[in-house]
Amino acid sequence: MRFVRRKLIQLVVVLLCVTFLSFLLISLLPGDPATKLCAGAGGQECVDQKRTELRLDDPIPVRYVRWLGDAVTGDLGASARNQQPVWEALTQRVPVTIELLLYSQFMALIIAIPLGLLAAQRAGGILDRVSTTVLFGLLAVPSFMLALLLIYIFPVKLGWFQATGYTDFTDNPLESLGSLFLPALSLAAAEMAVYMRLLRTDLIATLQEDYITMAKAKGMPPRRILLRHAFKPSSFSLITVIGLNFGRLIGGALIIEIIFGINGLGKYTVDSILGQDFIPVQGAVLVIAVGYVLINFAVDMLYAALDPRIRHARALA
Amino acid sequence: MSRRMVTAEPGAHPETRSTLLEVVDLKTRFRTDAGTVHAVDGVSFTLDRGRTLGVVGESGSGKTVLSRSVMGLLPSRNVEREGHVLYEGTDIIGFDQKRMSQVWGAEMAMVFQDPMTSLNPVMKIGNQITESLRFHLGVDKGEASATAVALLKSVGIPAAEQRLKEYPHQLSGGMRQRVTIAIALACGPKVLFADEPTTALDVTVQAQILDLLAEQQRERHMAMILVSHDLGVVAGRTDEIMVMYGGRVVEQAPTDVLFADVKMPYTEALLRSIPRIEHPSHARLEAIPGRPPKLISPPKGCNFAPRCRYAQPKCTEETPPLVAADDPRHLYRCWFPVGSAEGADALARNLADGTTVAYPTSPGSAPAAATPGTDGEGA
Amino acid sequence: MPAPSHDPVHGAVPGSGSVFAESGDFATEISDIADGDALGLAELHELDPDQVASPRAKRRLGLAFWIASGWFALVALAALLAPILPIDDPNKTVARPRLAPSSAHWFGTDALGRDVFSRTIWGGRISLVVGIGSILLGVLIGGAIGLLAGHYRGKVETILMGFCDVLLSFPALLLALAIVGFRDNRDVSTIVLAIGVVSIAPVARLVRANTMIYSQREFVTAARSLGASNARIMLREVLPNVVFPVLSFSVIAVAVAIVAEGGLAFIGLSVPPPTATWGGMISDGRNFLADAPWISLAPCFILFLTVLALNLAGDRLREFFDIREGAL
Repeated sequence: MRFVRRKLIQLVVVLLCVTFLSFLLISLLPGDPATKLCAGAGGQECVDQKRTELRLDDPIPVRYVRWLGDAVTGDLGASARNQQPVWEALTQRVPVTIELLLYSQFMALIIAIPLGLLAAQRAGGILDRVSTTVLFGLLAVPSFMLALLLIYIFPVKLGWFQATGYTDFTDNPLESLGSLFLPALSLAAAEMAVYMRLLRTDLIATLQEDYITMAKAKGMPPRRILLRHAFKPSSFSLITVIGLNFGRLIGGALIIEIIFGINGLGKYTVDSILGQDFIPVQGAVLVIAVGYVLINFAVDMLYAALDPRIRHARALA
Repeated sequence: MSRRMVTAEPGAHPETRSTLLEVVDLKTRFRTDAGTVHAVDGVSFTLDRGRTLGVVGESGSGKTVLSRSVMGLLPSRNVEREGHVLYEGTDIIGFDQKRMSQVWGAEMAMVFQDPMTSLNPVMKIGNQITESLRFHLGVDKGEASATAVALLKSVGIPAAEQRLKEYPHQLSGGMRQRVTIAIALACGPKVLFADEPTTALDVTVQAQILDLLAEQQRERHMAMILVSHDLGVVAGRTDEIMVMYGGRVVEQAPTDVLFADVKMPYTEALLRSIPRIEHPSHARLEAIPGRPPKLISPPKGCNFAPRCRYAQPKCTEETPPLVAADDPRHLYRCWFPVGSAEGADALARNLADGTTVAYPTSPGSAPAAATPGTDGEGA
Repeated sequence: MPAPSHDPVHGAVPGSGSVFAESGDFATEISDIADGDALGLAELHELDPDQVASPRAKRRLGLAFWIASGWFALVALAALLAPILPIDDPNKTVARPRLAPSSAHWFGTDALGRDVFSRTIWGGRISLVVGIGSILLGVLIGGAIGLLAGHYRGKVETILMGFCDVLLSFPALLLALAIVGFRDNRDVSTIVLAIGVVSIAPVARLVRANTMIYSQREFVTAARSLGASNARIMLREVLPNVVFPVLSFSVIAVAVAIVAEGGLAFIGLSVPPPTATWGGMISDGRNFLADAPWISLAPCFILFLTVLALNLAGDRLREFFDIREGAL
C-alpha cells in the first residue's frame, strides 16, 4: 500500500535524523569530550583510549556511520563508572520501564474512557461538571508532586503498598503490578485528565452529527448509539494523543523511577547524568527516542487501520 | 419477492383512506439565553395512510424542526413540546425514549438532507442497515444480511452484496442517499419523513431519488411527509401541501387546489422563484426580498408583512387567523389574499406609492419590496 | 454585523444571487443565542442546520480568568520584589530547623533552619524566569520557523518542519535533561536554553498552521497584489493575526515549562543548591514528610496554584480567541 510505503520512508528519514542528533550529544560536551568522558575514572590512559576508541579526529559523518553501525550490532559502549556495557544495562532496564508506561496508560484509559463517555452523554450534568473540574485541577499537579502525596498517604500514613522497590513481572506478575501501582498512578493522573477532556470534547461534537440523529431515528437504544456509533469516530484524536503521550510519560518516568527507586530506564539515565557518565546517557537517549518514533509510527498505522476514510483516501492518492 | 418480508405485515393497511397521523396544535420552543425561540407555533395536520404531505418553506420556516418534533427526535434539554401527535390514535408526545425507540425505525422513519453526514463514516453500510433489522425484528445475522441485500437491490443499488462491506465514502452522493432510504425502509415504517432528501445532491440525480421515494411509497402503501424549500419539487409528488413561514402554517390545501388558487402572498412569491422552462434562460428569477422573521419575540401582526408586496397597515397590527377559502380544505393566513378584490387593491396601492406599510419612511430604498422584478443590489 | 430585521434599509435589501434571500439575520441571532452556552449549541444545530453559521463562544473572559491572573500577578510581583521585601535571607539559617509554621515564619523552617516562606518567594524567581524565558526563546525561534514555513511553503517548509519533527521525536523532558546533563554549568541560562529548545517545535507548528490560514485570506492577497514584499506581508499582515493563538498557547506553555523546571530541580538537575527552587525545596522536604510536611507542601501548594492559574487563564484565552485545537 502506498500510504504504508510513504510512512515507511518518512520513518527511515526521521530515524536517521534522531540517531544523528543522539550521536551529536557527545559533541555538546564542553572542552575535550575524551577528557570529559573519563571524568573520575582512569587518567591520561583512559583519555588516550577514548580518543582512539571514538576516533575523535575523524570527520563527523565517518564517526556517525561507525557509531551507528556499532549501535545496530548492540555495541553502545560502556559505562565509565563500572565498565558495564550500556547495551547489557539497557536490556535489563527497558522491560521495567515498558511495564510502568503500559500500566499507567492502561490506568489512565480505564478511568478516562468510561468517564468521558458518561460525561459527554450528560454534558452539563453533575457528573460532567464534577469530573471536568476535578480533572482540570489534576492537570496542574506535576507527577513528582503527586508521587510525594501518594507516598505520604499510602505507605507512610496507611501502610499500604511499598514506597520503594520493584518486583520483576516474570517473578510474580501480581506483586509486580502491586509494586508499580503508586508509580503508575502518579504518572496516570495527568494523562487521565487529558484523555477524558479530549474524548469528552470529541464525543460532544460527534453526538451532534446527523448520523447520530439518524441512529436515533432508527430506534437504536442510547447506549448502543454511544458505544457503537459515536465512540469510534470520536476516538481518533485520542489514539494519536495516546501515542504522543508516551513521550510525556517517559519524561515523567525519569523522575518517578527515582522517587520510587525503580531500576528502570529513567533512573539509569538520570543516575548516569548525575554521575557525569555520558556514554550510557547517549545510549539511553538513543533507545528512548527510537522507541518513541516507532511507537508513533505504530499509532499512525493503527489510526489508518481504524479510520476507513484515511485508509482508502491514501490508498487512492 | 424477497422485498415482501421487510414490509409491514400484510393486512396492516386494509383500508385505503384512514387517518394514520394526526398532529394537533403542535408547538415547539427552544429555550435559549436570548429568549424563547418559537420554532414551531401551533401546527395541525392530518395524514392518511399511503398519502403524501408536502411541507414547504424557506430556511428558518420551522419545517425541519416540525418533522423532527413530530418524530420526537429533538433533544429533551431546553426544548418544550406542546400539543398532540396522534399516531394510529395514540398520543405519542408523552412517550419516553424507551417507548419511542419502538416507534422510531419500525413505525416512523426519516431520510435526512445530506447523505454525506447522515451515514456513519466509520461503519460498514451492511451494519448500518442490519442493526435496526436485528433490533426491531429480532432476526439473526444471516437473515438480516439477506434482507439488507434485498433492500439495497430494491432501492436500485447494483452489486448489493459487495456494498454491504463498503463504507459510505466509497459511494457517490446519489448512491449514499439510496442507502439512507434503504435504511429508513428496513423495518417497514408506515410513515416516512423525507427532510429535503435531494437538496444536497446533484441536479441530475435529484429526480431519480424523488422517483425512487414515490415508487417505494406506492409499493409499501406508506405515508410520506416530503419537506422541501422548493415548491417545484413537491408540486407533482404530493397530495396535500402545507406552506410554512416563521414556524406557522400560512397556507394549506390539497395540491391541485393550491396551485389552482394561491391565496397567500408568500406562496405566490415562492412560486415566482421557481425557474420555468417556458421562460427564456436569461429571465431573472425573483428573489424574495428581506430575511426570514425573527423567532424570538416576533413583532405583532403577520410575520410576512415586512417582505410582502401586499402589506397594509392592518398587517402590522393584527395577526391574521388561519381561515378557510371557498373550498373548506383550503386554509390560509392573510388579510389581503391573492386573487381577491382586497388583495388587488392593496397591491395597486403599494405599487402606486412605491412603498409598503413596512417601509413607510424610506421611499428610496423600499421599492425592492414593492416592485416585482427588482433584482437584489446585494445583501 | 448586528442588523436588526426591522431596520427598514437592511430589511429591504434582497438576497443577492440566490433564489432565496439569505437568512443572515437569523444566523446572527442564532450565534448571539449560542453565546456562552456551548451545550445549547447541540439543540440549536437541530433548528435548521443551514441557518447556524459557525457559532462563537462567549466573548467574556469571566471571573475565573481574573482570579487566576490576579494570583499569577501576585506571585510574579513577590518574586520580582524579593530582594527588597522584608523577608529573611533565603540561604541563611534563621531559626531552629523544622519549625512549624508560625507568625514569625509563615511556612515554617526547613531542615537547615532556613525560612520556607522566604525560600518559596525566591524560588518563584527561578521558576518564573525559566518559565517565561524559555517560552520566550521558543516563541521567537519557533515563531520565525513557523512563519517562514507557512509563508513560503515548498522546500523551505519541508526542511524547517522536518527539523521540528526531529525535535519532536525526542520526549520533551528527556531532551531538556540531555541538554542540561551535557552542559558544564547549570545556571539559569542553561535551564532556559534546555526548556526553550524543547518548546521550539510546538510553537513552530502552531504558527505555521495559522500562517497558512491567513496567507490565503483576501487581505494578504490584496497586499501582495499591491506589491508588498514578503517580509512586509509576514510582519505586517500575517504576524498580527498569529499573535492571539500564540499568546493563549504561551500562557499554558509557561505552566508546562515551570513544571519541567520543577522536575529538573527535583532530581537535582536545575540550578544547583543552595539557590532556592520550588522543585528543589519539594525534594529537600521528601525525607521529612512525616514530621515536617510543610517543607515540601508549602512550595507544592504554591507551584500547584501557579500552574493551575496559568492553565485556567490559557484555557479561557483560547476560548476567548475562539481557537480550535483542530488547527494544530
